[in-house]
Amino acid sequence: MTDNASHLGATLQDLLDERLDAARQTEVLTHLAGCPQCRSELEALRWVRDVALKQLPVEDVPPALAARVVAALDVTDKQTVRRGWRRRTMAAAVLAAAAVVLLLLVSPSSNGDTLPNAVARDFVAYRDGTLPLTLHTSDGAAVQRLFVAGGAPFAMRVFDLGMMQYQLVGGLVHRLRGRPSALFVYRGPGDRNLVCQMYEGQLADLPRSDDVRKHNGITFQVYAAGTVTLVFWQEGPVVCVLASDADAEAVIQLAYAKAVKV
Amino acid sequence: MSDPDERRRQFESIALPLMQALYNTSLRLTADGDEAADIVQETFLRAYRTFDNFRLGTNARAWLFTILYSVFANRYHEAKRRPRMEVVEQLEAPATPESDIALVAAWGSRWNPEVERALRRLPEDFRTPLLLIDVEGLSYEEAATVLGCAVGTVGSRLFRGRKLLYAMLQEYAHQAGYGKDRAPDP
Repeated sequence: MTDNASHLGATLQDLLDERLDAARQTEVLTHLAGCPQCRSELEALRWVRDVALKQLPVEDVPPALAARVVAALDVTDKQTVRRGWRRRTMAAAVLAAAAVVLLLLVSPSSNGDTLPNAVARDFVAYRDGTLPLTLHTSDGAAVQRLFVAGGAPFAMRVFDLGMMQYQLVGGLVHRLRGRPSALFVYRGPGDRNLVCQMYEGQLADLPRSDDVRKHNGITFQVYAAGTVTLVFWQEGPVVCVLASDADAEAVIQLAYAKAVKV
Repeated sequence: MSDPDERRRQFESIALPLMQALYNTSLRLTADGDEAADIVQETFLRAYRTFDNFRLGTNARAWLFTILYSVFANRYHEAKRRPRMEVVEQLEAPATPESDIALVAAWGSRWNPEVERALRRLPEDFRTPLLLIDVEGLSYEEAATVLGCAVGTVGSRLFRGRKLLYAMLQEYAHQAGYGKDRAPDP
């Protein structure tokens, strides 16, 4: 089963899985009629899909696992109830503290729900599978079209980071603390995720950073949230941020590579 | 879903029927019953905690497999305890009898383990699309969502996985009566 220029290769799989349009299917069937090697390869692929893998046993779920899952859900429910009870009994105290909290939240130096925290949460949610992308593609132009179609109020370019060994995975029209955000993801060595967001704003909106760097005339503000490194910079009216749990210096270098002076 | 009892009932009716499929996939990703069970339990917990973000009527199967794969990937990739990977070029060599015995014992398989053994030897990147698409019946697009990669990448990994699996199972396929009129590929 070897591919070469005169044989169909992966197109045989597209035929097998009915992923060809009518015209291409006709072409492929015509080729197959005169090519024993491709016919043979097609039948091998079909055998794997329809015979071999259908022989796999269906293992029963261990009874203890089902019980463990239900018990874990019970514990989660009880924690939720306890939190609800605490919320009710502490409502007066919460109300009294609300003004203080509000002040903290709007303060640039707040340690509360800051933009870096929100970006870090988005990174973790994506990594944990609870923030799915709406488009999966390695085509940067397709991701840009997604953002335009989603009403992104600013122009952006989705760059290829292949030189840095990061491949585009896809994108999502997102909201970052209430403002529209273009979110796209790269995957790099060791399956590390690199989440990029772009939104209208100013670096001045961010809390003070202890790690501010200059590169090619661009200012980069660096934050750490647990194991996640966040690097913000300004491109015209847009703030760009990279978030990743890769090595911090590697994330900063990626930001240098991605930043464009406007 | 503000009523906690209703929320729990809806979650159980949507998610729990998929436990067997999730467990089987987890088992074939980890080749370890205890690990597989831990991953499934963590999957259900994460899903339950984020159930309010799940839109009823959408694809629960793809949603749960996405969480399952994320839990698996975090455990193995973050801790750099990735399951055994073999050099692709070595995969066409027949497995030794000793490894067969160990594998069959590990799996507890009750019948001919040829396919299971070959699948286990596939690198994870090729094995996972086979499990999701050919075993669990997900579409290419759903598998791309689960794996967080492009549909084209799923297709190419699936193709490579099927070819490798066939190369490993060629002799078995002939013994089973498939392609008796064909000589094995060189």
